[in-house]
Amino acid sequence: MTRAPSVFARTFTTPLILIAILLAISVAVHLFGSGALQRTVVEMLMRVVLVVGMWIFIGNSGIISFGHVGFMCLGAYAAAWFTIPPMLKQISLRGLPEILLTNQFPFWPSALAAALLAAGFALVIGPILMRLAGIAASIATFAMLAMINTIYSNWSSVTGGTSSVIGIPIRTSLWVALGFAAAAILIAYVYAISRSGLALRAARDEPIAAEASGVNIARERLIAFVLSAFVCGASGVLYAHFLGIITPDAFFLTATFISLSMLVVGGMYSLSGAVVGVVVISSIIQMLRTLERGVAVGDMTVSLPNGSQQIAIGVVMILILLFRPAGIMGNRELRLRLNRGTGGRKSAEAPRA
Amino acid sequence: MSLLSVENLVVRYGQLTALRGVSLSVEEGETLFVTGPNGAGKSTLLKAIAGVVAPAEGTIRLGGAEITGNTPETTARLGFSMVPEGRQVFAELTIEENLWLGAGMRGNRAEALRDLEHLYEVFPMLQERRHAPAGLLSGGQQQMLVIARALMTAPRLVAIDEPSLGLAPLIIDQVYQLLLRLRSERGLTLLIVEQSSTRALMTGGRMALLRSGRIVLEGACDALDGEALERAYFGYDAPQEAAPR
Amino acid sequence: MTATLQILFDALSLGSLYALGALGIALIFGVMRLVNFAHGDYIAFSVFLLLWPTTEAVSILFLGVLPAPLLILAVIAIGAVLSVVSELVVFRRLRDANPATMMIASFALGFVLKHILLMFYSSRPKSVSILPDLARQVEVFGARIPLLQVVTILATIVILIALTAFLKRTRFGLEMRAAAQDFTMARMLGVKANRVILIAFAISGALAGAIGLVLVVQSGTTDINMGLSVMLIAFIATVIGGLGSLYGAVIAGFLIGGASVLMQVVLPIEARPFRDAFVYALVIAVLIWRPQGLFAPRSARQRV
Repeated sequence: MTRAPSVFARTFTTPLILIAILLAISVAVHLFGSGALQRTVVEMLMRVVLVVGMWIFIGNSGIISFGHVGFMCLGAYAAAWFTIPPMLKQISLRGLPEILLTNQFPFWPSALAAALLAAGFALVIGPILMRLAGIAASIATFAMLAMINTIYSNWSSVTGGTSSVIGIPIRTSLWVALGFAAAAILIAYVYAISRSGLALRAARDEPIAAEASGVNIARERLIAFVLSAFVCGASGVLYAHFLGIITPDAFFLTATFISLSMLVVGGMYSLSGAVVGVVVISSIIQMLRTLERGVAVGDMTVSLPNGSQQIAIGVVMILILLFRPAGIMGNRELRLRLNRGTGGRKSAEAPRA
Repeated sequence: MSLLSVENLVVRYGQLTALRGVSLSVEEGETLFVTGPNGAGKSTLLKAIAGVVAPAEGTIRLGGAEITGNTPETTARLGFSMVPEGRQVFAELTIEENLWLGAGMRGNRAEALRDLEHLYEVFPMLQERRHAPAGLLSGGQQQMLVIARALMTAPRLVAIDEPSLGLAPLIIDQVYQLLLRLRSERGLTLLIVEQSSTRALMTGGRMALLRSGRIVLEGACDALDGEALERAYFGYDAPQEAAPR
Repeated sequence: MTATLQILFDALSLGSLYALGALGIALIFGVMRLVNFAHGDYIAFSVFLLLWPTTEAVSILFLGVLPAPLLILAVIAIGAVLSVVSELVVFRRLRDANPATMMIASFALGFVLKHILLMFYSSRPKSVSILPDLARQVEVFGARIPLLQVVTILATIVILIALTAFLKRTRFGLEMRAAAQDFTMARMLGVKANRVILIAFAISGALAGAIGLVLVVQSGTTDINMGLSVMLIAFIATVIGGLGSLYGAVIAGFLIGGASVLMQVVLPIEARPFRDAFVYALVIAVLIWRPQGLFAPRSARQRV
């Protein structure tokens, strides 16, 4: 006879499993991986933060938002404004307010402020968007992304326009990225099991019944929207401090496509899906990159033709969706079933309720 | 050979089993009512026959040919016409366009036109507004439109899901009156899902009572015992089922 | 007066492109509830086959050497075939999937198409001269208007009339309209799902080819991303027009084209680079005022 899992097991195993996976990858690459591979893992961890942030809104509300990379943009540029040395700012970003032009703030407070800025923007524009539903909401988020991109590409005095903003201090190491990723997963999970998250998912599945049960759909959506903007903004901060250089085009269509694909291919409705999607697709991309460079087989080097890497990743994603339309994880979370006396066994089961 | 035969039909929606081994048959020219409480699986039964949902187990045959798991258009083209729950008129199309849509699979255009004229005779209120959008009709008129539309396909069997849903009693009377007139004029075979077993008993024919995915009672309408019907409908005799895992 | 006329033609021709694009998206969305993000890449693809595949900066005409009527036919046919093939290979199996999956699949398809073009043609825009006669200007009521604009507007009108006739008067058209309103019910009346969807994809692809042709004549270059800006607006126009309403999509396309041109004229010079941002803000405003779109069909409202 199996006993029901303990409250602890029921409540917290999912984020712990996900963080453990990321930790294992990080430790392995730190010990055995080349510098290039480590950078790739850092990129993957940054994506985890972004996609988990997107999941907070998209997965729980069911509304596909094309706009979240816009929050990444806001966070990245804010981080740049706070941390670039004043001398550089005075040359290229003269439109900034005085306090920014003459100061350079340390990493952690600046990161927090930048993420809060993104969240603040979501708080302002959110109430407008959250009254819409379904495709109308999706297109509205798309319009928001396009708006952010247009403004940032043209407001040269403050954002440098389409030319790169340089001089951002490099601070995103493997462990910083892992820390952000773990924090993002925890925030997302705590939100998901909170009353607000539950209410939003109820509204996602049965809006009329939810409203009849007293759920204020617009408000719950707004909460998710603002929280997800915070996390996506944080991913922008990571990105800025990783490359040291940012341009508005890094936060537009390609980034949106890739991150949404990772989310949907992993499984849009579950947090595990978000993380698994990023890990799986990042791994496949890395594999294809290696293959394109050439792999030694006996005496020969086998390699894919140049440019086929992107074609392959597109084809792989289509194939995954053809065979698992609900994504790799379906709607399920990774859970640990802890039976006293028989050890732990990892399983994927449908979430209760 | 029955016109329609269903054997051991099992239909699942994910982990929920809606039909647990349903068997029934409809002879040519007869009217079978399927009644039962809400959630019994009546609509699911019709949808499975129509091909809208695919059964997990079981066989369905129309005129001897197997139609289990067919696409809806294939089953429709074999002579099965379904009027689903909630009327489902094409609101933006005109009445005449709605009707003409059903004629798409008929080979003989002249015959189809004659059929159309005849149906206009039976339903004069449809003819009056033949070029008006169907979305403007009242509930009762829409119900008559979808019945006429189903008949435009020259079907061998017509299945109707809850014809009385959302209609006032007087209107339901009118609908049934016209339906029965068509039945006698054309010798229709009917499979009607009707939540009101009273209406079924009034109309005559055979009745099968579906409850929790199983047929629990079956027989000719005039031969069924009222009390047995009541017990079966409300499940007074049903064994207590264990809660599903 | 002549300035107004020029602005009017600008607005109408830009609106025509957007309208045709929106129509292509709306046709497929109507029957399949799929927003096809690969549409912009159909546009580019159908035009690139006018050239020989080469990563050099020069352009060597391939199909581009055909005489004008054949050339037009070829581009439109390529668009239609590409669209149909993508339905057969990718979208058919995803018919019952949730909208997000279908969208991402179409994204991925567009991504693949773009990178195929990239591999064979490189990302450098190539200048090419197709139908150069259309680039000259004609005089209309005293104003000098590019012939291409006039042709675009006229062609759009002709296409719209032809499509309306097809939808209203033929059996296929009737089946498509019914399928767009209630796909399952249409199937229960014997409408063949696959046939209706293929026709929608074919028409949609043909429209993409037409758009590509206009773009390549207008700009004189082929560029991997050439379909992008038209398609972005087309998506938006489809939603503003009211999902499921073809008229709505077309009208919204014209409206956005008009608004875009108007903004260019009306905005003060400093604000002009931000014109697109204003257009997008306008889009959001329209969505708030009418979330279901300007011409949402009655069937779109959910009944409790």
